[in-house]
Amino acid sequence: METKIGVFLCNCGGAINNIDFDAVVKKVAKFPGVTYVNLSSNLCLKEGREKMISCIREENIERVVVAACSPEFQEHIFREVLEKAGLNGHLFSMANIREQCSWAHDGDVTMKAVELVKMAVNKVRLLQPVEKKELPVNREVLVLGGGFSAINTALQLSRVGLRTTLLEKEAALGTGPEELESFYGFDTGSMISAVEGDENIEVLTSAQMMAVEGKIGDFSVRIKKEGEEISRKYGAIVLATGYQTALALDSEPKLRAKDVAISGINIVSQEQFCRMLRNSSLETEPKTIGFMFDFSDENSRFTTLATLNNALEAKKKWGSEIYVFYKSVKVDSEGMEKLYQEARDCGVVFLKSEAPPRITAENGRVKIEAKDVFLGEDIILACDVLVAEELYLPAEGAENLSSLLSIRRDSRGFFQDENVHLYPVGSEKKGIFFIGGCRGDLDLGRVLADISSVVMKVHELLSSGKILVAVERVKADPQKCVACLTCIRVCPHGAIQLVRVDGSKEVAEISDLACDACGICAAICPAKAIEFQGYRDEEILAQIEAIQEL
Amino acid sequence: MESKNVLVVGSGISGVASALELANEGVSVYLLEKEAVIGGHSASFCCKATDICSKCSACVVFDKIKEAVIHPQIKLLTNSTIRRLSGELGNFRVEIIQQPQYVDEEKCIACGLCTEVCPADPKAIYLPFAGATPFSYILDEGLCLRFRGERCDLCQRSCPTKAIEFELKPKERELNVDAIIVATGFDVFDAREKGSLGYGRYPNVLTGLDLEQVFTREGYLRLPTNGKEPRNIAFIQCIGSRDEGHGYCSQVCCKYAMKLAGLINYQNPDTQVTIFYIDLQTAGKGFAQFYEKYKESMRFVRGVPVEILQTLSGELEVRFEDIYQGKVCRDTFDLVVLSVGISPRKNSWDLARILGVNLADDGFFDVRDPLGSNETNVDGIFLAGTCQGPKDIPDSIAHGIAAASKATQVLAESASQRRGN
Repeated sequence: METKIGVFLCNCGGAINNIDFDAVVKKVAKFPGVTYVNLSSNLCLKEGREKMISCIREENIERVVVAACSPEFQEHIFREVLEKAGLNGHLFSMANIREQCSWAHDGDVTMKAVELVKMAVNKVRLLQPVEKKELPVNREVLVLGGGFSAINTALQLSRVGLRTTLLEKEAALGTGPEELESFYGFDTGSMISAVEGDENIEVLTSAQMMAVEGKIGDFSVRIKKEGEEISRKYGAIVLATGYQTALALDSEPKLRAKDVAISGINIVSQEQFCRMLRNSSLETEPKTIGFMFDFSDENSRFTTLATLNNALEAKKKWGSEIYVFYKSVKVDSEGMEKLYQEARDCGVVFLKSEAPPRITAENGRVKIEAKDVFLGEDIILACDVLVAEELYLPAEGAENLSSLLSIRRDSRGFFQDENVHLYPVGSEKKGIFFIGGCRGDLDLGRVLADISSVVMKVHELLSSGKILVAVERVKADPQKCVACLTCIRVCPHGAIQLVRVDGSKEVAEISDLACDACGICAAICPAKAIEFQGYRDEEILAQIEAIQEL
Repeated sequence: MESKNVLVVGSGISGVASALELANEGVSVYLLEKEAVIGGHSASFCCKATDICSKCSACVVFDKIKEAVIHPQIKLLTNSTIRRLSGELGNFRVEIIQQPQYVDEEKCIACGLCTEVCPADPKAIYLPFAGATPFSYILDEGLCLRFRGERCDLCQRSCPTKAIEFELKPKERELNVDAIIVATGFDVFDAREKGSLGYGRYPNVLTGLDLEQVFTREGYLRLPTNGKEPRNIAFIQCIGSRDEGHGYCSQVCCKYAMKLAGLINYQNPDTQVTIFYIDLQTAGKGFAQFYEKYKESMRFVRGVPVEILQTLSGELEVRFEDIYQGKVCRDTFDLVVLSVGISPRKNSWDLARILGVNLADDGFFDVRDPLGSNETNVDGIFLAGTCQGPKDIPDSIAHGIAAASKATQVLAESASQRRGN
């Protein structure tokens, strides 16, 4: 028996006045399968919706077409109506006869309205139901990293009742950049003891992630710790692996900040300068100090922060003369403008210059030559210590991690693709998140927001132990699949894998949990084995045919 | 967990982000908005894509607002403000006052018949902007003839769903909530305060926000005076940021100015764009590359002009210091865009007093601890977004989610403590 299709037309309270609805009703009633046509003036309002529900029930309607306004506004409401009337919400199609028909043209548009309805009827006839189902997820979280962000994430996750493993490649937690402690007043010691006393947090130091398989809710991770391999399961993975800095000196390979020794060289990194400041037995206090930032890298929020803090500290402690060479001061973080003003008020001299200064050695001192934009003159300064410009770079091993997890990095090599829909902490793969320095040049305020955001997102996903997903909305047909791997290569969400069926044949299988219903695989599959419900070829073709027929 | 109620004050992007996260956790959220439409400032921003996405995040805002409106756990309270607060974390009682909504948003089908018949000029009943949420017309008391004593009821008679009522009084109601998230956003700096720049006097001096709205409405830029395409445009940065009285960087102006300039440049490559700046804030994901791309095709000039004069031919003469030559220069432009910054809400003081929350020196809401920018001095009252300090859209979303996260953590802890006792 043919499927019963109900068509609900709406004239939007008279606002659609260039369509002859009586003619539309007559034509639509003759379309094959259409057993019910009704004209309403307020379909989206409560009375209209209630009437629709009773109609669907009384007339035993199996599929529904609504011809009214843009689906942008009301589609969700009508899907709800279907569910309430006992139908699957996917057996529904909408024809936009208001914005894309009546209001788009002058004069009578009855024919176009009929065409649009016919297209929707042809489509709805072929639609297949999509069911929803709850799938179980693992409630444990793996946090990679052992610095401030990783530790804080683990502590906050514990606060909302989720168990965490902290995986750190160094031998202890909190071995990250030391200077952060003095800039922000962190008490890393007390954070680490809080972690040790927390029964929800397991700490694996000197450990590395070797392999990852699976998807959100069910990641299988192999970890290598002191020569031994451990296999574990997690529901979500959080990357808080930080960053590294390198001196922006003209040398190849790039000098890493920690490779430059203090003795004998009076060009130092910010971290080394921090240590000099803390060293109470320093032989001679530098009388003239130069700083440099924002010449080699636009992403200089962190070096700006380090410079301002270190310059202020040196001014207070030693009373040195301090000159800062820079192009633009990056003050687009909370409190930075105030810090900049404070440094200026304390007598730190800021010298703007468009091109990087020339650095040479002269009589055991560092000679800096630059053209100041305000004075319009060349400046030559001999200083006792130059704190070199630093580049803010992805941490060592970021590349390896991105290939282990098959996640993209941005154009500078940091985690997280440059796609605004993934901000703040998301990745293109569900269940994998990024925090802080590993995803870009962030100040403390932004890092803190990242941490709390991840805790919220992870809690939402895992706290109940199950996730509600649409089942087989996108599906690969094992009969047609030739295992060419095209879909696996293009899927940005890592949702497709090969599985063995019938003993020998391998075919693509799409995970309902990991799939984001973007449709790329369905469009690209050379064997036309993948179907995306609502956008199947036959559904699209039937709509095109509808226009040709009339 | 027993069901919780949270009040989110303000429905801009950070309030919406907070509300969505809480609602997805099963919390019942009241989303309070003093205006008739939700979305705040960010809902009026335009897409700045050229042939590629410029990552301005305006589309993200639209998606999130839509998601919030249809979420069953979120109850929208538009036209509403808080009058009084009592109680404490886990048991706040909030008295709110809802101004009359003459067009019932539940009944309005946005057919537009009312606007057609409205005799007032400008129209007193209208859709606030295309894509407004709720998608409902609003009646402006100040413009409506009936509220000025005349006997007009044309809109009411034309309405097919009887959505319009005139005899309405403000409604009062009391809410019981466990926690409150303040997300009241910012005021755009009023460029009239910088009198010498001529905003409000010279029609071809616009603010960045004006330009956003021009692109949202029209999709392209024309000179307000004669409707011709502008040939020579200047952007002036740091208007209402980094000066006396605004001891902070607004964080958004360099980004929006450069992206809008990029859009203008894309639509008409012959248009000359000059950007006057103090320090370019080009840090942040993907933005350095954006700057690299436009560094050559746009003119970047260090220093912020202090005076704009209109010449007899209607052009704008901008006086600025050429710092390389150390002298005052003059340049003429067809159009000048003032990149206005983020200011604290002028009425924050009232809300701060009602809630008992502290304000910081710069006028934004103050935080309890520098290592946590969501928590206020009052237990159970949290901050989200630009009411705490300037933020761009992604940062506002992050801050909104973070506020929801803090609220969830505090409520979970207080619940387990109560069970323990």
